[in-house]
Amino acid sequence: MLSTPRRAPRVPPEGGRTLRPGKAGSVGALDAGPSRRQGRVEARLASLPRETRDTLFLLAVVGWVVAMQVAHIPWWCSALTAGVLVWRGTLALRGLPLPGWPWRLGLLAFTLAATWATHRTLLGQDAGVTLIVVLLSLKTLEMRARRDAFVVFFLAFFTLLTHFFYSQSLLTAAGILIALLGLLTALVNAHMPVGRPSLAQAARIAAGMAALGAPIMLVLFLLFPRLSPLWGVPSDDRGRSGLSSTMRVGQIAELVLDDSIALRLRFEDRPPPAGQLYFRGPVLSAFDGVEWRPARADFPTRQALPSDLAVSGEPIRYEVTMEPHRRPWLFLLEAATQAPEVPDVRVRMTNELQWLTDRPMGSLVRFSAVSHTAFRHGPLAPTLALQEHVALPPGYNPRTLELAQQLRREHGSGPGATARLVEAVLERLRTGGYLYTLEPGVYGQHTADEFWFDRRQGFCEHIASSFVILMRALDIPARIVTGYQGGELNNVDGYWTVRQRDAHAWTEVWHAGQGWVRVDPTAAVAPGRIGSLQRLSAPEGAIAGAIRNLNPNISAQLRAAWEAVNNSWNQWVLNYTQGRQLDLLKNLGFQSPSWADLAYVLIGVVVVASLIGAAWTLWERQQHDPWLRLLQRARTRLRALGLDSSDRTPPRELAERVQQHWGTTAAAQGVAQWLLQLEAQRYGRPGAADTPTLATLQREFRQLAWPRKDTR
Amino acid sequence: MLALTLLLLLVASINYQLNLGYLLTFLLAGSAVVGMHVCHGNLRGTTLHLNPPTPVHAGQAVALDIRLTSERPRIRYGLGMGVIGADLAHAPLAWTDVPAQGSTTLQVAWPVPARGLHALPALTALTLFPLGTFRVWTVWRPAASVLVYPEPESHPPPLPPGEPQAGSSGSARVQSTGEFDGVRAYRRGDPIKAVVWKKAAQAFAAGRDELVSRDALSTQRQQLWLDHAQCGHSELEARLSRLTAWVLMADRLGLDYGLRVPGREIAPDQGPAHRARCLEALATC
Repeated sequence: MLSTPRRAPRVPPEGGRTLRPGKAGSVGALDAGPSRRQGRVEARLASLPRETRDTLFLLAVVGWVVAMQVAHIPWWCSALTAGVLVWRGTLALRGLPLPGWPWRLGLLAFTLAATWATHRTLLGQDAGVTLIVVLLSLKTLEMRARRDAFVVFFLAFFTLLTHFFYSQSLLTAAGILIALLGLLTALVNAHMPVGRPSLAQAARIAAGMAALGAPIMLVLFLLFPRLSPLWGVPSDDRGRSGLSSTMRVGQIAELVLDDSIALRLRFEDRPPPAGQLYFRGPVLSAFDGVEWRPARADFPTRQALPSDLAVSGEPIRYEVTMEPHRRPWLFLLEAATQAPEVPDVRVRMTNELQWLTDRPMGSLVRFSAVSHTAFRHGPLAPTLALQEHVALPPGYNPRTLELAQQLRREHGSGPGATARLVEAVLERLRTGGYLYTLEPGVYGQHTADEFWFDRRQGFCEHIASSFVILMRALDIPARIVTGYQGGELNNVDGYWTVRQRDAHAWTEVWHAGQGWVRVDPTAAVAPGRIGSLQRLSAPEGAIAGAIRNLNPNISAQLRAAWEAVNNSWNQWVLNYTQGRQLDLLKNLGFQSPSWADLAYVLIGVVVVASLIGAAWTLWERQQHDPWLRLLQRARTRLRALGLDSSDRTPPRELAERVQQHWGTTAAAQGVAQWLLQLEAQRYGRPGAADTPTLATLQREFRQLAWPRKDTR
Repeated sequence: MLALTLLLLLVASINYQLNLGYLLTFLLAGSAVVGMHVCHGNLRGTTLHLNPPTPVHAGQAVALDIRLTSERPRIRYGLGMGVIGADLAHAPLAWTDVPAQGSTTLQVAWPVPARGLHALPALTALTLFPLGTFRVWTVWRPAASVLVYPEPESHPPPLPPGEPQAGSSGSARVQSTGEFDGVRAYRRGDPIKAVVWKKAAQAFAAGRDELVSRDALSTQRQQLWLDHAQCGHSELEARLSRLTAWVLMADRLGLDYGLRVPGREIAPDQGPAHRARCLEALATC
């Protein structure tokens, strides 16, 4: 079925050396000002030779495909691609020959070298995207035969796919759709070899094909079995905003709030109060004076700190849609005892109650989970492993250590004083003039000292870190927990949204007999940060500010609506997994669907569609000629009245037989006359005045008075 | 290449679990499937009509005038037609668009092999529209034949001298009906200057519409016979080639000429019909 003959109908765009007199448009020639200039551009475009026009169009489409990729490719790659495309466009406009192979080879070698220099590899995702973009632009320098043009088209399709490595949002999809239609238009246009068809015409045909192809796409998308990856995806450990696995305190002078979405939640019942919405991420226990890290696994397994999780109260059931973050973490409401079911992923809980997956979450996932906000965890009695949680590096924060001595003198020491000490420190945070700010400036070496005594301001990182350092100085086991806190309800679709700016750091303090207890020192500094929807907001742009000034609700509503649309896109398109496919089958009536059933349904749909197509063809073939059909109806009718005729009796002979059979009755005359008219319609001179149309004959056939049936 | 692209896209979508990748792949696949049907519909239902080809000489190409008619309310883009030669994929094609409910004419050249009466070769009509990923084609064997005359010799010798008129041969001696010597009744094809206008005037005056011509036989005692046995070559094809050149030459000069080829003799005459008869005899002997 598939064949690509090598012979080109028309050698596709190659410099446009053929000079074809174009039609010089005079659009806007009478208008003044800018529209005149525009008119000239249009006239110029209209007067281009066809090959040049087609080349420029294809270059524009390729440019669009690459432009969407600019954010993800190195700057030299963007510059090189833009340069090559502009160069190629100039060659096409001037009708100059294409550059020879040394140029292309040189550029290719340069690209390989630069890719190696940038990515240190030629394989892998980023290097691959860089290479494919450059190859696409270089290939436009070599469009000689139809095969070359095809290579450009299909390279462009592949480049389109690489966008989805980075974003699968609604906007990306819209951009891709435009690019796809552009490519199809160019392809259709390349197969209209005659004359100078307008691009709009080709675009209409392409859009029509895409529209007709959409149902096929839908069926395949719904029913094509989702397989797990065929081989391991190279993991990509790039820096992303949001949470990271370590925390360097005081390095960030100004925190830019990132409004992008981390999680979406839907609670099945009543949501817990916002102050309870702690989504647990990595737990940081090891501190070297500058950086907090997860605890090293120094202890053998049997001595490691057990989780000892015990929950009570009503379970909270909810569904999480987690944006990709390329870390092997799941963010669950504290604390979850049951492993959530994530498609194709194995999950487990660490001893620190963090949920991990077996591979980085590179794509959007959705899962259901059950959590209890009332819980208790950690050992009840002191163990050896707790020693790790009072360790402090020597030589840092001397004044904080002094403060600890002072506090111990005031409130006593030992396990029994833990609660009093924690309360005293929180009281100090509340009343000591400490400020929550997003612009604390860069801290020096003794971050806790600076926070407690000098600057007295910071955001959750500074507060939590300083709090834990002070706790440890007091010989109380403490650690930092990172994750997300809070969320806001989108009234449009009822989903809770947790954003990157909700990333938070809080602490856990070990109490004898209670285990780990959550303490959020940030709440003491800025009660508004926790548990309410009011947050410090990032400085906004002029337009957003103007909108907010006009009507503070509009921007919030617009944003809520946009996010609701995006969310349903995520829910229905991006998160269409095998689980949902099987749900679909269940709705179709399968008892225990498997992917084999999916394949059966898919095959069934294909077979049914083919059968319908075959039946239609058969029907069309049989009744192809309406004239023959009409004659056959007349024969059948006369046969029923007792007149013998074969399937080959022509109308004239039939008319004679009618007259012989029934004589000269009026009905017989009428039928005979009609048959002769039928003959004239088919064999008479076309265009003659007295030739009836087929529609008239059909109408007359229905109104015809038929002779009576022989009763003899 | 389409299949390869789709496979690559699909594998990438599976491997990176890209749901939008699936969408893109399937949309492309859907468009290709639709494109297949559009391609089929583009060719299907086109009526082909071949105008009777005009005879040519060997070595030239027959121009086959094909009229393509479409009853569809949409334009048929990019239909190509060509002669199926030894190599189907490389057949040179002529491309055209067929307007909606209209027709268009397309000329396909066929280099003829040798003289004689040839059945037309099989023609192919194909289309790649709209995506070029599918090719829909059909083979058409028109039930017509084309006459190919021998190739005229490029530098033929001058015409042979005429033969003296044989005593009673030929049809030229029918006019011994009591008229004057050297004058006979006008025959169609007689040159105007041979008409005896005086006699004609008399005849018109007497109410008759008869013309008389000077009898060529009496004025021209020599008669031009193009004889295959006397044209200087021994090989048949070379003889025919020379005779063809002579026929064309004599026709151009407006001479009466007769032709003798093996098994056939055409009496001297002139005019396009006579030339066609002679050339046909040369082609088919």
